[in-house]
Amino acid sequence: MRAGELTLRAPACEGGQDGGGLRAAMAGLARRLLCRGFCVPARPPSTRQLREADEAAPVFQYAGKAARRKDRVFVWGFSYSGALGIPSFVKPDAGWKKPRRIQPTPYRLETEDKISSAACGYGFTLLASNTRDITKVWGMGLNKDSQLGFQRSRRDQTKAYEYVLEPSPIPLPLEKPQQTRVLQVSCGRAHSLVLTDSEGVFTMGNNSYGQCGRKVVEDEIYSGSHLIHQLKEFDSRVVQVVCGQDHSLFRTKKGSVYACGWGADGQTGLGHYNITSVPTKLQGDIAGVNIIQVSSYGDCCLAVSDEGDVFGWGNSEYLQLASVTETTQVNVPRHLPFKIGKVKEAACGGTGNIVLTEEGNVFVWGYGILGKGPNLTETAEPEMIPPSLFGCSDFSPDTRVAHVRCGLSQFAALTNRGELFVWGKNLRGCLGTGRMEDQYFPWRVTVPGEVVDVACGVDHMVSMVRSFT
Amino acid sequence: MAAPGLAGLFAVYKPAGVAWGRVREALETRLLRELNAAPQRAPRQQVRFLPSPAPEGGGAVELVAASVPVLADHPLVRGPRFRKLKMGAGHRLDVKASGVFVLGIGHGNKLLTDLYNCHLTKVYTVGGLFGKATDDFSDTGNLIEKTTFDHITREKLERILAVIQGTNQKALLMYSNIDMKTQEAYELAVKGLIRPMGKSPPIITAIRCLQFALPEFQLEIHCLHETQQYLRKVVHEIGLELKSSAVCTQVRRTRDGVFTVDDALPRTQWNLQSIQEAIRNCQLKVQTELEKTLAAHEENSPLHQLDGTQLSMLCRSLREQHNTAETCQRGDGQQKERG
Repeated sequence: MRAGELTLRAPACEGGQDGGGLRAAMAGLARRLLCRGFCVPARPPSTRQLREADEAAPVFQYAGKAARRKDRVFVWGFSYSGALGIPSFVKPDAGWKKPRRIQPTPYRLETEDKISSAACGYGFTLLASNTRDITKVWGMGLNKDSQLGFQRSRRDQTKAYEYVLEPSPIPLPLEKPQQTRVLQVSCGRAHSLVLTDSEGVFTMGNNSYGQCGRKVVEDEIYSGSHLIHQLKEFDSRVVQVVCGQDHSLFRTKKGSVYACGWGADGQTGLGHYNITSVPTKLQGDIAGVNIIQVSSYGDCCLAVSDEGDVFGWGNSEYLQLASVTETTQVNVPRHLPFKIGKVKEAACGGTGNIVLTEEGNVFVWGYGILGKGPNLTETAEPEMIPPSLFGCSDFSPDTRVAHVRCGLSQFAALTNRGELFVWGKNLRGCLGTGRMEDQYFPWRVTVPGEVVDVACGVDHMVSMVRSFT
Repeated sequence: MAAPGLAGLFAVYKPAGVAWGRVREALETRLLRELNAAPQRAPRQQVRFLPSPAPEGGGAVELVAASVPVLADHPLVRGPRFRKLKMGAGHRLDVKASGVFVLGIGHGNKLLTDLYNCHLTKVYTVGGLFGKATDDFSDTGNLIEKTTFDHITREKLERILAVIQGTNQKALLMYSNIDMKTQEAYELAVKGLIRPMGKSPPIITAIRCLQFALPEFQLEIHCLHETQQYLRKVVHEIGLELKSSAVCTQVRRTRDGVFTVDDALPRTQWNLQSIQEAIRNCQLKVQTELEKTLAAHEENSPLHQLDGTQLSMLCRSLREQHNTAETCQRGDGQQKERG
């Protein structure tokens, strides 16, 4: 039979009414083709075919050999103040979306430049980059006291925004804007400090207590103010700036500490309880001592010397300085004689303090949720948090805590493996654990990257993260 | 009918490429063959008066008493003494995986349930290969994609492993159903004793890289409530995280609770004598582990699974392993019911 006859025969059956007849005809066709060698039955692919298909497959490249790890910023916490810098949480960009009051887990904040320093204030955030470009500092959140500088409103060119929902550049009055680099930023309740490498410290925001380092002007209106003050006269270059609630601390290269601002709790450490509007050098137990780190967030201050000693001053209502004195306000820096080893880093919160020693041990004291379970609410002597809670185990014995940070009522610890542990009061989701309950012992925050640094605020946190690959 | 003296738990090394059911059947067949080949007890004798020709002769039949074996005891009539063995399997292994496979015989099956309730971790050695992605995550599956892998370094892999371990530590605390706000939760977290004692998704308690030679790498994984396919999926996901792809070449269980590779019997030793010896050697280990875990959880009332009667029955069954006597357990149980 010729091949053409097969095709002539098939259509005759297609016109048939039963589908069964059609299937039988097609089966017959297939059988005839098989018998004549026109087609081969299906068989699972042989090893040789598989190998050839494997070798012929294209190879995709997702990352080159010189792929760099990317730097990212993650934010979480209370978003209605705009402090998270994501406008769609406050004003949704689609009608069906709902505003998000709290971001309970880390959320990526897209930034143009690599952020080297971040600081969280009371409802606002500052981000700074180490670049030589004109725009070095961005701010978002509350701006009712111009703590983010003057943010010109687009609707009315003479007025300023009271809430900044997106990271907006802060114009600094730099002499050499294309050469100066911003080293560090710090935020307090309603003021902020920007530290540069060659042009001193810039302060902005509320100055009712002289915390900006300039003379207090009576009935000054801080909202919509263009004034950014520059501080230059210190004994040497300023290397660290720290904001307390309503006071500012400056640490210089020579190891001395200057303070200005509100002093009713003695947090300026200058020997009196009045306000100071000019940064003045602290004496007391730290006179002549080379201080390598200062910390404050509420009304208590801690300083660490190069020998590993801890000095404290300020509010002691919550037993922060009760190891040396019964008074609840200490206005002169006092040495805290703790026998815990050489201290590397200290951080102060509203009611609790935390230090990190050279061996990598973490000690807490004060009042509140300290991190050793619900039973420990207050202590005047430092208590160690067991390293097993930070991921140190027989399986990974060299996991150490590398940095400690403090918010107003929460603590954060960063390990050398790039993990972030938080504990404390979970005010409006600021811990980032995904739950709204308080956390009584250190708990990991799941961040998609290696956490390099974290800044804690009252009800939000910002972290600088490097991607894994 | 259970064989006395052959009751307890032992571990066997399951080779790759066979299903676990076949391994169990092969062992059962072998044991039955050996048990049936053992010399049986002698058949009962009975006195029967058998007719025999009288010494006088001439067709007279005399009944002579003779002790003859009972026909009912003849091996061809009775058949093999043991036809089935109650052999249970512990945590199963799929066809492609190999390693320690725990089995229980007779009363040991009850211990299998108790060991399962202890929720002990298992240790696997997982081998992976970068550069390929297949549909069933193993190297014998259909190829989906091929990728480059020259940008992968050991440091990057260890970073990913640290993150996997961290998120699984969190899952460990979350699925253990303890209220995080209690001092008790803090104490357990410090000691590292928090563990899910009920159903939970697979959790990896520890993971680390043993060998790294591109494109191959080997991981050691300690896990709970896992399946081997889940481990292959973990290897695939590690490949994705590293911006490449990976397939799993080998899954080998090196430890199942208290049983390690040293306790596991290789194929050449799948015989009655080795199995009896293995059961004897592992008895003490199993007992101490069960008592330790169940005692620890009896203190924490929301966590313990067994109530008083069950716990006492369990301890009694453990003692009974030494005596190999069934009667005291049944007797005590009946007394409990009456009392």
